[in-house]
Amino acid sequence: MMTGKIVQVSGSVVDVVFEKGKLPKIKEALAVELEHKKRVMEVAQHIGGSVVRCIMLSESEGLYRGMEVVADGHNIRVPVGEATLGRMFNVLGEPIDGGEPIGGQTERWDIHREAPRFDEQSPAVEILETGIKVIDLLEPYPKGGKIGLFGGAGVGKTVLIQELIHNVAMEHGGYSIFTGVGERSREGNDLWKEMRESGVMDKTALVFGQMNEAPGVRMRVALSGLTMAEYFRDRENKDVLLFIDNIFRFVQAGSEVSTLLGRMPSAVGYQPTLAEEMGALQERITSTKNGSVTSVQAVYVPADDLTDPAPATTFSHLDATTVLSRKIAEQGIYPAVDPLDSTSRILEASILGEEHYHIARTVQETLQKYSALQDIIAILGMEELSSEDKLIVGRARRIQRFLAQPTHVAEKFTGIPGVYVPLKETLRSFKAIISGEMDGYPEAAFYNVGTIDDVIQKAEKIKAGEL
Amino acid sequence: MSNEINEKKAILFSDTPPDAEQEKRFKAFLHEKYGQDTDLIWEKSDAFPGGFRLEVDEEIYDWSVNGRFQQLNETLVRVPGKNGNTIPLMKEALEAWMPQAMAQEVGQVLTVGDGIATVSGVQNAAYGEILLFPSGVKGMVQDLREDEAGCILFGGTEQICEGSTVKRTGRMAGIPVGDEFIGRVVNALGEPVDGKGEIHSEGYRLIENPAPGIIDRQPVNTPLETGILAIDSMFPIGRGQRELIIGDRQTGKTAIAVDTILNQKGKGVLCIYVAIGQKASSIAQLVQNLKTRGAMEYTTVVNASASDPAPLQYIAPYAGCALGEYFMSKGRDVLIVYDDLSKHAIAYRALSLLLERAPGREAYPGDVFYLHSRLLERSAHLSDEKGGGSMTALPIVETQAGDVSAYIPTNIISITDGQIFLESDLFFSGQRPAVNVGLSVSRVGGDAQTKAMKKAAGAIRLDLAQYREMEVFTQFASDLDDATKKQLTYGQGLMQVLRQEQNKPYKQQEQVIILVVVLNHLLQDVPINGIRAVLGALLQHFHEQHAEIAERIDADGLLSDDCREQILSIAKEYLQGR
Repeated sequence: MMTGKIVQVSGSVVDVVFEKGKLPKIKEALAVELEHKKRVMEVAQHIGGSVVRCIMLSESEGLYRGMEVVADGHNIRVPVGEATLGRMFNVLGEPIDGGEPIGGQTERWDIHREAPRFDEQSPAVEILETGIKVIDLLEPYPKGGKIGLFGGAGVGKTVLIQELIHNVAMEHGGYSIFTGVGERSREGNDLWKEMRESGVMDKTALVFGQMNEAPGVRMRVALSGLTMAEYFRDRENKDVLLFIDNIFRFVQAGSEVSTLLGRMPSAVGYQPTLAEEMGALQERITSTKNGSVTSVQAVYVPADDLTDPAPATTFSHLDATTVLSRKIAEQGIYPAVDPLDSTSRILEASILGEEHYHIARTVQETLQKYSALQDIIAILGMEELSSEDKLIVGRARRIQRFLAQPTHVAEKFTGIPGVYVPLKETLRSFKAIISGEMDGYPEAAFYNVGTIDDVIQKAEKIKAGEL
Repeated sequence: MSNEINEKKAILFSDTPPDAEQEKRFKAFLHEKYGQDTDLIWEKSDAFPGGFRLEVDEEIYDWSVNGRFQQLNETLVRVPGKNGNTIPLMKEALEAWMPQAMAQEVGQVLTVGDGIATVSGVQNAAYGEILLFPSGVKGMVQDLREDEAGCILFGGTEQICEGSTVKRTGRMAGIPVGDEFIGRVVNALGEPVDGKGEIHSEGYRLIENPAPGIIDRQPVNTPLETGILAIDSMFPIGRGQRELIIGDRQTGKTAIAVDTILNQKGKGVLCIYVAIGQKASSIAQLVQNLKTRGAMEYTTVVNASASDPAPLQYIAPYAGCALGEYFMSKGRDVLIVYDDLSKHAIAYRALSLLLERAPGREAYPGDVFYLHSRLLERSAHLSDEKGGGSMTALPIVETQAGDVSAYIPTNIISITDGQIFLESDLFFSGQRPAVNVGLSVSRVGGDAQTKAMKKAAGAIRLDLAQYREMEVFTQFASDLDDATKKQLTYGQGLMQVLRQEQNKPYKQQEQVIILVVVLNHLLQDVPINGIRAVLGALLQHFHEQHAEIAERIDADGLLSDDCREQILSIAKEYLQGR
């Protein structure tokens, strides 16, 4: 046990002086008591003169110079294992669901850990069915892979991640960890209530460090959630689902404290260590020979700019990327997935089979041709197109509408019940559209439905004047 | 930092030197207080008749008549006041008061300028504490360094110069709160600026407060009616929600917020309007407008106008929020408008750059997201265990040339539970309120809509989105099939129906009737230009001849199939007979 004294406070960064030669190590947790409440900080740097520079994991208001700080020689540690299931935690692994405290005999792991070694890696080669047409067809998610949902503000990242929880976690049967990083507290409350009502809570652990909390919290909470997932993978050899909403906030929190730590700002004001910080976190989220972690990470795109250093750095770590676009959301097409910008590493004939691959590529080609023709249409109008192009435009518009799908999560807003479309049905439906079978049906019939059978039904209703 | 202990030196000022016994007691006091031997030096001074003043480094013990008088004064200032019962409280305070040999920690101004001061001394001042500068200007500690503290100043810097004495207050930044604030106009420090005399407060609340935790909340489930058809039907707002109003200048952002405040009359919602960096004259006009329409009875205005220093503009929304939290914690429903947060971000950027923090995107500091996220997260619908109060926030953000994907707008969009996007093209083409249906969204309001409204509104938003897409797609097409033509006229009709003048709110039941009539294509054959007139007459007809329908909807918030049929048949009959 070592004690030191606060000498400087600047926003979330606090300098503490210790006795010479008795300094806490980097990443160690220090505690300070204010108004009978323990506040924690983490050592970030040794800056010379027996002074360590720390990042607060709570707000700094009320700290003063000369306050006593205690180092007990540990990093931040969170409880792991069965005891975490059905519970909700903060970054320090303290329950915040108002329930019993976690017992002292529960195993605790450091949140800072090494990434699995090269020879332990296990690449992903199998498709994970999500029941969402646009995803299953055009950018299938790999089991045990890393999936990113990219999108600007308000294009539906959180709705999509919740739909995936609904469709995948509830069917999955294994353990799920949900980590809320710098998002809305209200969403935390909604999710907690929903999980308890749907009965999957006893297989789920929730960890939250939301946007009202200090940057230090948002920087570390992803690690707290990840550590709980790693325990199930490494110790119990389980297949785990890890949801992180939103990984961008992790980078953002790092940039909030970076200049206060005395680093020079890099491009657009980000921390110079961005790529390294992201790498250290992302390399831990991986499947090994012991067990798998399938992770779904929402990635906020600041100012709708996909070339921003934060999302740009995240891209390379992922196996499948779903890009949500404002232009598509504006047309009322949800989930607003951009079918031409989204990719998956397993979209290959050798993995998915020849049929799936062929249908997916033809759909993409049709959409691509339509997007190329759009300028001509805007200037000259549809009449000037060749009859072949007219056919392509018609099909592309039908595909666009058909990619919209009512979701379970949005049911309470739209009043339209959500549908789960099995992969087999998805393939059958799109095959019918690209083969030209459906050219005679009105465009409106394709909008916001499940399978191709629903299109036929809706078309009949439209004909009968019911819609 | 130097770890070795400084030699302490105490200087005693009084008109006569202390005798041996007194000197012994002073030394014992110093030893107890500072735990080490201290040199005591006596200096003659005539300034303290009948008392003394003891200075130990930066701490001062003032035992002169003046000093004790000041202590009494400070005790009396802290007496909580509410009309009539002040005197017994004062008596109580006086009886309990005993002059104390309290240390008063002071410091000296090192540098001052641009609304920022650095201060030496005040060794124990906490981060976020209020310091008192000469002439009563307050400052907040924003930076604690080894031998100096950086403060932002909440007033003019004219009276402050190098070497000025600074006192600690021991209080964190906060504002007085209480029911008497309702109906008043105050500045960011909670001081009245409407010339109606002092406000008696019931407490003091810190401007920075942690937001309610995850389990202290409950889902948004009660509507906050704006009275604006376009919003209540498509982007409903619930109590405890944060809904951003965003658009270029002069697109009617403030008008929507003000209409919403006006529509809260008689609905038990307290309103707080926080003006940040605006013209004082526009605020005066706004207050006048609220007053003439009887809305000041339940509204507080917090004003940090364009001429106020940046630190005041920076704390204004937090101060307004603290006042809102006070009401929310008492179980009441609060509506708070922040007009506008782009100016708030600019004030904070100015401060940050002056405090020498590194700039990032658009020269805003790295923590500009946290600036707004911790503010807006404090709006919530509290759980029943916490009293069930709510605070609904309507932050306003101004865009440049309709660019919603700029830095501050996207930041705030990612914090709020939805946004209402106003477009200048729509505004000038007469479509007012100029709500862009495609880009606006409300993430939680659907839960808060009454069943009647939800049923009536149905898929209006998706219908309109599809209409807009179709409109663009067919703008050069000459031969359209009948189905497409029908869809287009239907969409144009809908847009007409959504036009609404300022200060003309619709009641919920009126909105339900309008929606049922319109969405069932009953106005399909009415010429576009005549739609609003016909609709007005139709509502009038319902009001005069069939008031029972509105009453039924109002009573249980439901729209039964039977009721719906009734509305349709009355409307059909009326339209045919026209």
